[in-house]
Amino acid sequence: MTDEMLRAPAEVKYAEELDWLESIDDGPKPFSWRLSPRMVRLFVLGSERSDGLDREIAQKWFGDRSFVERAIVTLASDRGLLLIGDPGTGKSWLAELLAAAISRNSTLVVQGTAGTTEDHIKYSWNVSMVIAKGQSRESMIPSPIMTAMEQGVIGRFEELTRSTSDVQDALISILSEKYVSIPELDDDNIVFAQPGFSIIATANSRDRGVNDLSSALKRRFNFVRIPVVTNKKSEAEIVRFRTTELLRRHNIDLELPPTLLDILLQSFADLRAAAASAQSDDGKLESALSTAEQIGVLEDAILHSNFFGDRTLKAETLAGSLVGSLARRSPEDLAILNKYWHGVIEPRSKKDGGDWQGFLEGGRQAIATLS
Amino acid sequence: MSLFGALREQLNDAAETFAGSPGALSEILTGMVDDVDRALGERLEIFPVCHHSPASALAMARRLRDKRPQVIYLELCEDLRPLLDELRTCKLPVALQAFAAELDGFPESWGPLSVVAPITEASAEYQAIAYALDTPGVELVLVDRSSDHVFQWHPQEEPGKPAEEAGLHGDAVGVEIGDLRPRFAELEEHLLHHGKVRHWSEWWDQYVEQPLSGADYDTYRQVMVLIGSLFRRLRPYDADKLDRDEDRERYMWTRMREHLAATGADPARCLYVCGAFHAASRVEEFGLDAAPTDFDISPRTATNWLYGLIPSSHSAIESQFGLAPGSVSIAAATYDKAVTRSGVKPYALKGQQKGKRPAKLPPVVPLVAADQLTGFLSKPPERDPLDEAELVGWCVDIVRLARRNGYLSSTADAIAVYETSILLAGIRGRARPTPYDFQDAAVTCIEKDSVPGRRDVRRLCEILLGGDRIGEVGYQSMPPLAQDVFERLEPLGYDMKKRAVHRVLLDLNASPELRPCSQLLWVLRRLMPDHAVRPIMGSRRLGERSVQESWDVALGHHQRALIELGYEGVTVEQVLEQRLRRSVWEPKATAADALQAVEEAILFLGGRRFADELGARAVDLLAAERSVDDAPDVLRRIRRLLAHYRTTEPALPEWCERFVTTGYAQYCTLLPTAFVAEDVGVRQVAAMLGFLSSMESLALSLGCDRAQLELAVRQSHPETPGKIALLWAAQFQLGVLKIGELRERCAELLDNPLVVPSFPQYLSGFVQALEAAPALTPFVVEVISGAFARLPDGVLLPWLPTLIKTLRSEAPELVPVLIREAGRTFPATLAGVDTWAPPWPTPSGPGPGGGVAGGELVSGGPVAELLAAHPAPTDAVAALLGCEAAWKPLTHAGALPDGASAYGGSGDGGYPEVAALLERHPATAGAVAGLLTGGAAV
Repeated sequence: MTDEMLRAPAEVKYAEELDWLESIDDGPKPFSWRLSPRMVRLFVLGSERSDGLDREIAQKWFGDRSFVERAIVTLASDRGLLLIGDPGTGKSWLAELLAAAISRNSTLVVQGTAGTTEDHIKYSWNVSMVIAKGQSRESMIPSPIMTAMEQGVIGRFEELTRSTSDVQDALISILSEKYVSIPELDDDNIVFAQPGFSIIATANSRDRGVNDLSSALKRRFNFVRIPVVTNKKSEAEIVRFRTTELLRRHNIDLELPPTLLDILLQSFADLRAAAASAQSDDGKLESALSTAEQIGVLEDAILHSNFFGDRTLKAETLAGSLVGSLARRSPEDLAILNKYWHGVIEPRSKKDGGDWQGFLEGGRQAIATLS
Repeated sequence: MSLFGALREQLNDAAETFAGSPGALSEILTGMVDDVDRALGERLEIFPVCHHSPASALAMARRLRDKRPQVIYLELCEDLRPLLDELRTCKLPVALQAFAAELDGFPESWGPLSVVAPITEASAEYQAIAYALDTPGVELVLVDRSSDHVFQWHPQEEPGKPAEEAGLHGDAVGVEIGDLRPRFAELEEHLLHHGKVRHWSEWWDQYVEQPLSGADYDTYRQVMVLIGSLFRRLRPYDADKLDRDEDRERYMWTRMREHLAATGADPARCLYVCGAFHAASRVEEFGLDAAPTDFDISPRTATNWLYGLIPSSHSAIESQFGLAPGSVSIAAATYDKAVTRSGVKPYALKGQQKGKRPAKLPPVVPLVAADQLTGFLSKPPERDPLDEAELVGWCVDIVRLARRNGYLSSTADAIAVYETSILLAGIRGRARPTPYDFQDAAVTCIEKDSVPGRRDVRRLCEILLGGDRIGEVGYQSMPPLAQDVFERLEPLGYDMKKRAVHRVLLDLNASPELRPCSQLLWVLRRLMPDHAVRPIMGSRRLGERSVQESWDVALGHHQRALIELGYEGVTVEQVLEQRLRRSVWEPKATAADALQAVEEAILFLGGRRFADELGARAVDLLAAERSVDDAPDVLRRIRRLLAHYRTTEPALPEWCERFVTTGYAQYCTLLPTAFVAEDVGVRQVAAMLGFLSSMESLALSLGCDRAQLELAVRQSHPETPGKIALLWAAQFQLGVLKIGELRERCAELLDNPLVVPSFPQYLSGFVQALEAAPALTPFVVEVISGAFARLPDGVLLPWLPTLIKTLRSEAPELVPVLIREAGRTFPATLAGVDTWAPPWPTPSGPGPGGGVAGGELVSGGPVAELLAAHPAPTDAVAALLGCEAAWKPLTHAGALPDGASAYGGSGDGGYPEVAALLERHPATAGAVAGLLTGGAAV
């Protein structure tokens, strides 16, 4: 089944692992959870030798252990979980993994946009059926959230703060009363949430202030803030993990030289430090410089060298795609990159040599092309 | 077979299974057991400790009661020993400090050197100190290297690490008993990772502290040495730090042997308290029976060390020793709880307030040493049962605290925190939520997307779980200076124990006895950090005296700063004197600095002698100066000082006279260069000219020659407009240039379209020149008015903001003069503007003198009439002045036959108010008229 999908949801992709974990799980499981909280943690963070398992469980989300623990515990409690953080910090991925591990279904997702209406959260009607048979449970189209309530599983709400306040507030009654009433129907007009239902929402901290959450809704969510990964070691692991997955998906046989990975991580670390010390918005790149962005850069470079290059990843290509992905505003971003290239990379290429020289050249050309 | 034979075999087997061969791993594992064996087998009982470990403190209290040793050797800098007796008067935590400002034997750049050793209540060392000091016949010997050696053995780099934000310790080097932590980052990371904890304090708490809290003495000792040995064996080999650690061990063992030999004490009645790391030592000197080696204790340098106690705090300790925020507070809370639960009676120094009522003593059961390590290593740690009431209390309190700090938290949150804590403890495999679990739960449930107040939930949890405790140094332990300050502030009713800001009101007229207090506060204001003492009302400047003063005093909060002042002298006055003297003698000192020092000496210290000494130095500095950058400052200060001396003393001090003559000669010499030098501003030159002209009379009376100044001005050939204007002003002041010529030159400038754009700079020069030539004020007003009238808008408008800005920043003291003059010149009402003619000659109008004498302005009115009626005095004055003016006929009233009736008329030129007044009170006018004319009636 995985082969037929461009991107399989986590519960499909790791089905076998989840089955195995379920088979050995003897811990107490809250509500209708498929795994105990400790196993959920194990699934997300991977196994260690000290766990004493017969097989290795790969780490799927990289970040502080306590975030995952807090997230799992929140889902076992009465409140919804709101993952908040900069774009590209792995909020949605964590939400997907948690939903997959807890309820084996991570696809009950509502995507919050400016156009999201209350119908998307509660239910809507199949108009032709209503005309033919009148309003009934059959002619009702339940939203993913309502489905999650009926099944007692985890529902997801992506980008909560992108949807308008009235839509957000529809969640309040769902999270506190745990039922949705359908006034259009005369009987059977309340959908009660089954045990195990909870909501994982994600919100982008860069969007703060667009549609601020009401305090009533805030109270019903536990916030877990996911920071940008700045630890070089775990960042390298994330990038390697996601890129390997990507190479497998594209059936690309290409080696990722560790020195280039180092260069990529180092340059992102430099640019982040520069952004942190910038005085104004003009002084920093528009990009959040998240780990996802790094993966994007690497992906771009790999695809480029696979299809247009000689099937080896070169420093020049990497530099080109880095400049291409980060230079979003002209001239501000280009000016920053130009400064970085000549102020930091050039001395470094003189000092360290190696791939840095190619990186310097490639970046220069890319900047020149864009300018 | 030794005590641990079985364990050793077991470990050997394990090493074989894991590593495949009994190689390096087994050496480490069994080596650790060997270390334990060795430390425990030593004749001198070794008590291994770890800092901020409640278990250590508890075990120490128990052991001391049990063994009652006669001599206690403590791993602490030996030169800090005298300070320990003073702990009695302090509220812990405090830090023992050794401080050296005058270095001898260390690079100058290292200074000042400072070593601090914080002492907290929940520590084994405090138990040992309290026991030893309060038990008669017990000797406490500090055996670690002295503060001097700390720096002697310091790697050759700058010792002062950047100061931490909550730095009660400043940038001192911290020393601590029982530093026990993995010596390299990877090991610590590994332990944290597999222990599934976030930071070191949490690891220690979960894996060592909790299992050991109820353990017996043997278990405690064995486990501590084992951990010390583990970190000792797993360490980077080339670490400098280890060499120093080993040197310290050699030092300590040498000292102990020396002491035992000198006193003949029985080793069985001694106790050696050291960090667990040192207990597992393998240096040759280890043990009383070790063979003598050639280890030599190097002599101290000649650096003069000063000692004192400074207040410390949990947060200062955490930041200095890299501990997680809140961990020391949590350790203190754990200790208090453990004391209550175990019923151990901890030692406390007599005289120190410590509210705990000791529980009944448990019977001491003599224990036979047995292998306790095997159990510790193979069993999961036993945990306390869930203390539910405590957790509920925390949950309720954190919600209340959060609400007070702006969070919208409610009882529902308390319930959620409780539930989440238990769930978190469950997922982390703990039977009972630790404070750290509780903290995480509170953050999860209460913290939202932003922090509403000053503190976030994590910080609030720390406060809840004990909070930062800030120590206090008792009065008796303070240096004489601090004691003196508090004594002298007594009349104000200042309570030195209060950490809060104390508002002090002084009515110096009503209670003149408070004057010395006010004086002291001003000196403290000068010497201490900004917020220690802050005047709200009242000021102290030369020539001013406050009648009432109001102060915010926070000496309790800034105790450390006050104590460190005590290292500099015995009284604040002495410290100030030293500092002032140092400031004028340092190589970069300028004359302006020296004058400032004189001013401060007069203000804060009084007395002529010291001020004169500083003044003499100011003269030397001025004579040696080659730059005139400070000229404005020098002028301002010397003027103030001269004014002060003139009003308070019968004669000027000798140095003032010398300063004026030296300055006169100096500035005359430098004037021509300053006029042309590009890096000297107009303001500086103006200040020089100001000095020269305003001090001129004094300088001339003291023997200076005016020709020098005239020559200097003649030699000056400035090129920039501002300085040219200054030069003209100087020439005017010297009488070389007449006002008419000056006016002509300005008119020429305005007529020349090529020069007009730079005219504003000339104006700035003239404004600055008022310093030197105050007589030019009317002229400057005239030039500015002329500029406003004639400059094209393109030049004038951009220049206006610059003019205002320049006046404000560079010549604030000259602006009032200008405004007063302008007020005199221009009419005050709108109506007056229409008839106003400038008092200076305009190109089209008549000159000022002629205008008035021509009588056009005064063509009628009572004065003119009076004068016309009695021309004799006026004629006489005119004759005296040599003026040959003729009388003109009066135009209005004078032409009328009856003056009195003219005032009553409503015609043109009448004075209705005067007429009305006269009509109401005719008697006065009648009497005057009678006097003048001999009887005419109104």
